[in-house]
Amino acid sequence: MPRTAQSSPGAARKVGTAAPSTFLERALVVLSRYREASIAVVALVLAIYFQVGSNGEFLSSQELSVVLRDTGRYGLIAVAEVMLMITGEIDLSVGSTFSLAPYVMVLMSIGWGVPLAVSAVAGILLGVLIGLVNGIITVRFRVPSLITTVGTFFLLQGVVVSIYNSQPIVAPVQEPFNEIFGENLYSPTDSVWSWHGLTAFTPFLWTLVIVLAMALVLNRTTFGLHTIATGSNIVGAREIGVRTDRIKVYNFMIAGAFAAGAGVINTTQFASADPLAGGPFLTLQAIAAAVIGGTSLLGGSGTAIGSLLGAFVVATLNNGLVMMGAQATVSDIYLGAAIVLAMILNVQVDRMRARRRV
Amino acid sequence: MSQNAIPALNPDTPVILEMNRISKTFGAVTALVDVSIKLRKGEVLALVGDNGAGKSTLIKILSGFHHPDSGTIVYQGKEVHFHSPRDARAQGIETVYQDLALINDLSIYHNMFIGREYHKHILGMKLLDNRKMRELAQTYLNSLGIQIPSVNSTVDLLSGGQRQSVAVARSIYSSPTILVLDEPLAALGVREGAHVLGLIQNLRRQRSVSIILIVHNYNQVFEVCDRINFLHSGEIVLDASTSETSEEQLIRIVKSGLGRQAIAAAAAEVRAGTESTSTGGL
Ligand SMILES: Nc1ncnc2c1ncn2[C@@H]1O[C@H](COP(=O)(O)OP(=O)(O)OP(=O)(O)O)[C@@H](O)[C@H]1O
Ligand SMILES: [Mg+2]
Repeated sequence: MPRTAQSSPGAARKVGTAAPSTFLERALVVLSRYREASIAVVALVLAIYFQVGSNGEFLSSQELSVVLRDTGRYGLIAVAEVMLMITGEIDLSVGSTFSLAPYVMVLMSIGWGVPLAVSAVAGILLGVLIGLVNGIITVRFRVPSLITTVGTFFLLQGVVVSIYNSQPIVAPVQEPFNEIFGENLYSPTDSVWSWHGLTAFTPFLWTLVIVLAMALVLNRTTFGLHTIATGSNIVGAREIGVRTDRIKVYNFMIAGAFAAGAGVINTTQFASADPLAGGPFLTLQAIAAAVIGGTSLLGGSGTAIGSLLGAFVVATLNNGLVMMGAQATVSDIYLGAAIVLAMILNVQVDRMRARRRV
Repeated sequence: MSQNAIPALNPDTPVILEMNRISKTFGAVTALVDVSIKLRKGEVLALVGDNGAGKSTLIKILSGFHHPDSGTIVYQGKEVHFHSPRDARAQGIETVYQDLALINDLSIYHNMFIGREYHKHILGMKLLDNRKMRELAQTYLNSLGIQIPSVNSTVDLLSGGQRQSVAVARSIYSSPTILVLDEPLAALGVREGAHVLGLIQNLRRQRSVSIILIVHNYNQVFEVCDRINFLHSGEIVLDASTSETSEEQLIRIVKSGLGRQAIAAAAAEVRAGTESTSTGGL
């Protein structure tokens, strides 16, 4: 065993590992310690690229409010996927929950005259219930969540399209509810600091608040610690008294709630509930954001902040390329390449960490 | 005798734990058949037996990880049902599992305190008190003389022996009533192994914690244990005091062939010589 003087905690920082010497090694060490740093760099480079490519239009407040809106939508779902992926599970049904919850919200408000604020809560509770069902099927009946949630995805998608034969329904508009949840679009005459200007960014700001909260939950609470333990070593976690089944179910419930919440915000923005608003594509975009953000599918590690950065990258690729005149479909090529590269980087950073062992 | 001048346990010492007629099968595999063990307060009980004899299964039933098919556990005079390891830990039963149950992606200090984290309240939020856990872990590991790098490093960076040391330290940190150690010395070097044996010996000297120790090395059994239970094919075939059984006798039993009859016969022979103080429930 390496002998290290440990008289003063904190001062002794030797980890029993070789000190990084070259610049590259040091950079990889920084990357492994601050996963988010690598993706932040990617996000920045992309933003600069599109800013230059679009003759300074990309970072104009108007365009940015569109990109950040998408970032908010992907990010809110992605951060929930991150939590689940840390436990070693995944939820593919989020795309359907995203459509169903606001559909129910709008039907309640139209049919029973319930205020949107109340029916929105009901919609989110429906999401929680969906998560509970996903979780229980996964942990009690030992069905892999990949399968469970493919099943519930189709089931819920079927339910929402069958209600009114796939027809979108017009949602009521109630202020300040709609303003607070992103009804306003940024217009060139707006000041960012005006109420109208600020509310144009609310879909993103809500996600930002929630992502920061989830980062706190993940890194500074018992629940977060047990979430990591569950995915890192499920048998060991159980042996030491972590209630791994519960931890998984709670994270499924969070995923359901966040997917429903994202759907509610989306519907509020457009004052319309579309049964096809979510779908499989949204599920995959959110998972892409989580993966690009630095979370691997192996369980045991992941970053909440990274999911928001990943969401920004996905939204930027989608919007930026279109803005520069590319076909909308081309952006998928870049997105696909970005996911593969992100996975390679994730794995390499992990291996670099392992190689520094003594 | 290699008792290091620790006086033998008073025969009147109360029993703190009884596992009565525990049976357990895993599908077609019968792991335990009607196994009964008794542990007295402050006693160090060795549980020995071949690979696959059922030692780990027995202690995992005690720790709440497995549930017995039949049989009862009486702990501190009351029948108990541990639904999960959380229950058992809450009642003062700590276990070092054979697989150590360490979480590779967490730091040493988080591993030390997982399941009994310290919190602080900030703006009404119950957050982990990482600084406190870090300092307590560092101080405690130092006080045990366990050589590890910084408590901040994740446990996947540790050597096998260091991992084992951390797992043992975690189990004794909370001053348990019963301590269960499943091959705690397996990955330790000579010096570190002696160190952990020393820790067990210290606990034994104080007679405040009762210990079940699973080991394969009979030297170690005779060095730190008061009594020995030999588990063979899911059954206890010998229950003897170490002060009245010699290592040679034990080895004779073990080598008496794998047949249950042969072992039982050899065990009976040994028991005949130790009848007077036998504590056994055979
Ligand atoms: N979870 C399980 N599922 C199925 N069979 C199991 C399980 N755990 C243990 N067994 C079986 O029960 C029997 C007893 O195993 P156990 O691990 O208790 O032995 P052991 O005495 O601890 O052995 P070792 O000295 O190798 O650690 C073995 O045949 C093993 O294969
Ligand atoms: Mg074992």
